[in-house]
Amino acid sequence: MLRQPLTRAIALSSPSRVAPLGARRYADAVPAQPEKVEVFIDDKPVYVPPGTTVLQAAAQVGVEIPRFCYHERLAVAGNCRMCLVEVEKSPKPVAACAMPVMKGMRVKTDSDLTKKAREGVMEFLLVNHPLDCPICDQGGECDLQDQSMAFGSDKSRFTDIHFSGKRAVEDKDVGPLIKTIMTRCIHCTRCIRFASEVAGVDDFGTTGRGSDMQVGTYVEKMFLSELSGNIIDLCPVGALTSKPYSFAARPWETRRIDSVDVLDPLGSNIVVTTRTNEVLRILPRTNEEINEEWLSDKSRFACDGLKRQRLVTPMLADSRGNLTPVEWEDAIVAAARAIQDCPPDKLLAVAGDLADAESLVALKDLVNRLGSENVYTERDFPLEGSGTDLRSSYLLNTKIANVEDADFVLLIGTNVRFEAPLLNARIRKAFIHKETDVAVIGPKIDLTYDYLHVGDSASVVKDLATGSSSHEVLKRLDAAKRPIVILGADQLKTQEGSALLAYTQELALRLQDKLQDKNWKVLNVLQRSAGAVAALDLGYRPGVATALAAQPRVVFLLGADGGVVTREQLPKDAFVIYQGHHGDVGASIADVVFAGAAYTEKRATYVNAEGRAQQTLPAVSPPGRARDDWKIIRALSEVVGERLPYNNLDEVRDRLGQISPALVSYGEVQDNNYFAQARALSKSLQKPVSGTLDVQLKQLEDFFMTDPISRASPTMAKCVQAVIKQKSSVY
Amino acid sequence: MSIGKILALDKVATFFNIIRQNGGIRASLYKLYRQDELKDGVLVGEDKYGNKYYENPRFFYGRNRWVEYSDNYNMNYDGSQIPAEWFGWMHYKTDLPPHQDPSRPHYKWMSDFTENLSGTTGQYTPYSTTRPKVEAWVPKPKTSQ
Repeated sequence: MLRQPLTRAIALSSPSRVAPLGARRYADAVPAQPEKVEVFIDDKPVYVPPGTTVLQAAAQVGVEIPRFCYHERLAVAGNCRMCLVEVEKSPKPVAACAMPVMKGMRVKTDSDLTKKAREGVMEFLLVNHPLDCPICDQGGECDLQDQSMAFGSDKSRFTDIHFSGKRAVEDKDVGPLIKTIMTRCIHCTRCIRFASEVAGVDDFGTTGRGSDMQVGTYVEKMFLSELSGNIIDLCPVGALTSKPYSFAARPWETRRIDSVDVLDPLGSNIVVTTRTNEVLRILPRTNEEINEEWLSDKSRFACDGLKRQRLVTPMLADSRGNLTPVEWEDAIVAAARAIQDCPPDKLLAVAGDLADAESLVALKDLVNRLGSENVYTERDFPLEGSGTDLRSSYLLNTKIANVEDADFVLLIGTNVRFEAPLLNARIRKAFIHKETDVAVIGPKIDLTYDYLHVGDSASVVKDLATGSSSHEVLKRLDAAKRPIVILGADQLKTQEGSALLAYTQELALRLQDKLQDKNWKVLNVLQRSAGAVAALDLGYRPGVATALAAQPRVVFLLGADGGVVTREQLPKDAFVIYQGHHGDVGASIADVVFAGAAYTEKRATYVNAEGRAQQTLPAVSPPGRARDDWKIIRALSEVVGERLPYNNLDEVRDRLGQISPALVSYGEVQDNNYFAQARALSKSLQKPVSGTLDVQLKQLEDFFMTDPISRASPTMAKCVQAVIKQKSSVY
Repeated sequence: MSIGKILALDKVATFFNIIRQNGGIRASLYKLYRQDELKDGVLVGEDKYGNKYYENPRFFYGRNRWVEYSDNYNMNYDGSQIPAEWFGWMHYKTDLPPHQDPSRPHYKWMSDFTENLSGTTGQYTPYSTTRPKVEAWVPKPKTSQ
C-alpha cells in the first residue's frame, strides 16, 4: 500500500492545494511555518517556504511553466521534461516541477536556453505522436496541441513520408467508460499516479523503456474504481477519452453551464456541457471544499440517463387504470379534485431523494394550507430525542474539507466509498499523506485503504460510547487530537436506529469535550441522498411507515422512487399523484403523473450532506411538456383553491429563507451547534442494541445504479455488466 | 348573312339550347353557381367516378373539352379528380377517349387512381428518421380487470 511520509506530503502541498481559509479554520495548530526563502523568477523576487518547487514559486508570481506530467494533486514524477527552465549557475536546464527552490536562486523561464529546451522536448514528444488531431476527441482541449502551438517549433523535421517510423501501440480495454488510444500516449504517468494515489487501484503501470515504453494494466483488466473517469480529465493528450462522449462534439461547439451534482449526497460542483438542448457530458468543477477537482463515475457518466425513461407529458390513469398522456389542465384538475375530496388527515406527501428545496417548500406549504401535517421523507431517521430538530444530528458537522485534517476516522455502518466517493477520496488522502488511521464498524468492505475492523455489531458502538470496550480502537479514539465519527444514515431506519444515533452522539460528544481544539466537530451523519438534508431542514418528517399505516386517501409522491410507498400498503381507492422526471417505481403506481424537470433542467437549491446550500442552473430545457417542479405545485395550489403566495423563483427563495436562512446562503456552510443539547435529549434513548450493521452498497457493481437517473442510464448498466464480467476473470 | 344572325337570334337560340341541355332554369342556375360557367356540348364519356366529359368545337381550342365533376364531390372538386385515362383526352394528347381507344394497356397490376389528398386527413405526412433526443417513459399497461 502506497503511503508517503509526512515530509513528502508537505513538500507536495502547493499553495493552491490548501483548502480555503474558511474550511481550514481548525487547522491553525499546524507548526509555525519555517522562514521563507527568496528566489527570483525572471528577476521578479518571490518569497516561498523552503521545499517549494520552482514551478510552484513561478506560479505565485503568475509565470506559468508548461508541463505535462506535473499535476498539483498528484505526486511529482518529473518525466515529461516539458518544464525545463534555465537556472543561473546551473550547467543544464532543470525540471522545474521537481526542483526545490534554493536561497537566491535565479530562474529564467523566458531565456533562449529554456525556449530551446522546450522546443526540443516538444519535438521529441511529437516524433511519436500521431497526427490525428482532426479525429481526436481531445482536439480543442488538448494540452499537447496548445503547448506545441505555444512552445513548439515552427516547422517539422519529421521527413518520414513513408510512415514507417512512428511508434504504434495497441489499445487497451479498461472498461466501458474510458476509451484508450495508446498510440497518442506521451507517458506522463498521470493516470498511473492518480490510480495508485487517489483511486487506490494499483493496476496501472508502465512496461518497457525508451520508445518501447507502454502505459497499461499489464494484463487486460477493467479499471475497477468509482473515480475512474477522472483520468480522462487528467490525460493531457487524447490517449484516454470518454467512451460515451466519443466523437460526440468539439469543445468549441458546446455551451458550459456551472451546476451541482445530485447523484450523491456531497453535491459535487459540475459543469454541464450541452449542445442543441442536449446534455453531452458532465465535467467536474473545482471546489476545494467539496470535490477538489474530482468527480465520481456515477455523477459524470449517468447523464445519458437524463435522456431515457423520461416523463415528457402529464399523464392520467384512464378507466382501465392505464396511464395515458393528457394535457396539463386535465392532470392538474384531476389531482386537485382528488385533493379537495380528501379529508386533511388522509392527505400524505412523500419527498424522494432528488427533490429540490423549492419544490419541497412549495409542497409542504400546500399540504399545510390544506390542513395536513403529513409531509414525510422517504428515508428514515429516528424521531426520538432531539430528532431532526437540531441540525447537528443529521449533518456532516466536520465538513468535507476538514476530514483531511482528522487523525482518526471511525466509520459506523457506512460504505463511504460508494455512498460518497469523494469523501472517501478525502479520507484516503488523509490516510496516505497525513498518517490518519481509519476504523470501521460494519461489514468488511474494500475502502481502498487499510482500516481497523472493529466488528459489525451495533453493540460495539454502545461499548465504545460507554467506555466499556476493551478494544484498542477506544484508546486510539481517546488519544486522537482530531477524531471524527461518521455514521451512515442507512443504519437509522431500523428499530435500533435511535439507540445507535444516541450512542454515536454520546461517543462523539465525549470525544469532542476532551479535545484541545474546541472548534473541532466529531459527530457526522452521512446522508444518502442529495435531497435529504433540504427536506429535513424544511421540516419534512422521516418515517413514512407510520403515515402509511394511517391509510392515506391521497398520496403525493415528490420524486419518491425508493419503493418505500407501494400500492399494497395503500387502501384500494387511494389516489396517488407522482411528480418527478423519470418513469420509475413512483410513476408506475401513480394515478396522475406530473412531468417535472431533472437537475440539469431547472434552477433549484440542493443542500449537501454538510448543510451547504448550492444551486443548479438550467443547462437544457425540460423535455416535452415537463415543467419546473415548484411551478407545477404552485399551479396545482391555485386549482385546489389554496393559492401559494409566490409567483416567481425569488419569492420561493424568500420563503425558503424564512424557514432557514441556511437554505439560501449559497456556497456557504454554517457551523452547527447544540451538540450538548442533542446529547442530553438522547440520553434516555441509550437502550441496549443487538443488531448487526450492514450497508446497502458493498461492491462496485452496486454503486452504479442507485437512483432513477442512473437506473435509466445505459452507460451505468454497461458498467455493472463490465464489473460483473471482470469479477469472473482470472485477474 | 341571314336576318337571324344580324338580329343575333342564333345567340338567343344557343342560349335557350344551353338552358335546355343543362336541364332547365333551376338546374342551369345551380350549374352556373357550381362551375361558374354554363356550356352546351356533346357528352363524350363518363368515368367510373361519375365525372362527365364534354366536347364542343364551337368553343376555341383549350376551352372545347371540359369535365363536369360528379355530384358526389359537391363543391370540393379539383383537377386531380380526373383519372389518368381521361387526362390525355382532356389535355389534347389524344383525340380518342379511353373507351374508344383499344390500344390502351390494361393490366391486373395497375393500381386504382387516387386523387391528391393534400389538405385532408388522408394526406401524406413525412416522418422523421432521426432518433428522438429524449426517450419518453412508456407506462406498463395494466392487465385488464
